[in-house]
Amino acid sequence: MTIELAIRLTEIIMGFAFAQQSLEHLRSSSDDRMIFIPRLLLSVLLVVGFYSVWVIGLLMILGLVMLNRYQGPYNGGADRMSLLILFCLCIASFSPDKNWQELTFGYLSVQLILSYFISGWVKLVNPQWRNGQALLDVFRFSAYPVSESLRGWVKYPRVLLFVSWAIISFELIFPLALLSSTSLMIALLIAACFHLSNAFIFGLNRFFWIWIAAYPSILWFQQRIFVTI
Amino acid sequence: MKYDITLLLPALIPSWNFFDVIVPSPRIQFSLLNKENKVVKDWSEFRPRPTHVSVWKMLGRMFWNPDWNESLYLMSCAERLIDYPTQHSEDEIFRRIKADVVENKENNFPVDIAKVKFRLVFIRREGKQLKEEVRFESQVRSIINEYVDDD
Repeated sequence: MTIELAIRLTEIIMGFAFAQQSLEHLRSSSDDRMIFIPRLLLSVLLVVGFYSVWVIGLLMILGLVMLNRYQGPYNGGADRMSLLILFCLCIASFSPDKNWQELTFGYLSVQLILSYFISGWVKLVNPQWRNGQALLDVFRFSAYPVSESLRGWVKYPRVLLFVSWAIISFELIFPLALLSSTSLMIALLIAACFHLSNAFIFGLNRFFWIWIAAYPSILWFQQRIFVTI
Repeated sequence: MKYDITLLLPALIPSWNFFDVIVPSPRIQFSLLNKENKVVKDWSEFRPRPTHVSVWKMLGRMFWNPDWNESLYLMSCAERLIDYPTQHSEDEIFRRIKADVVENKENNFPVDIAKVKFRLVFIRREGKQLKEEVRFESQVRSIINEYVDDD
């Protein structure tokens, strides 16, 4: 995959993710609509590739306006990943030098790898995760399960212990997937299924779309590093 | 400007420590009062989750999930109110409760409601038991006007 194709694919998927997020805000107050109607229009322009460089710049400005409006991210990690991708696209788009483009997209792909690896590491060092209690607590009393019936999973502690270790193991070994393009494709497929299940069970739909938007960067990065080696 | 950079930096250099520790979980509860500040609806959970959500509905929420995402944002506001209290977080929660009451999303509201207040109840596990602790209670505000109505 060329850097140009990776950038374009990221623009398209991120444009779709931003459009989806913006649509959800159209029922909000008029103040919020002042932000999200332009954001929706810019997202559509980004998907179709109309003056992408300037569109990305304007989306970055709107991203900062949103940070100010909500005094932080609206949707935690999903908004932070949105800003990270947007920032990297901004640098890559405004930079005339291909080395800068590669450096920025390399940074994005390293952050994507870290998003899995560090999440796995912080769980591994926590005994509550290692014995399954943490995931039991998520289902038992956290605000995340989308229905009361999902809290019924606490009746299956062994299943949740297995799931805990499956998550920790996958997140920790994710960086090894870069060893070949096939293993990377498989790992990304598993990761996408993981985000999809989080979206279904915990209602984290924005995480799914925005993490997928970062995948072209790692597909490019894997080829760039390992083909060069 | 400095404040904006403080907000932006965690996105550019993220920590990625998702769910590292399962912290006490906030619930927003609200109460409705009449003009004489008499409680006409006692503490109720704001936007309680449904008993069951079908797989088809979960699939649909991949594309359209505004209420849940707003509830997650309000959870963030609730956590911020405890960790580093700001008027903004309190205003954001009030605004949504007021909107729901005015739009009559909640059922069976008494007709003479004039004011509202909310509190934050944090749920945590101690041993095998779940414990609830009220860690914040707001001022009373008019349901019609946004201004604080001290009593």
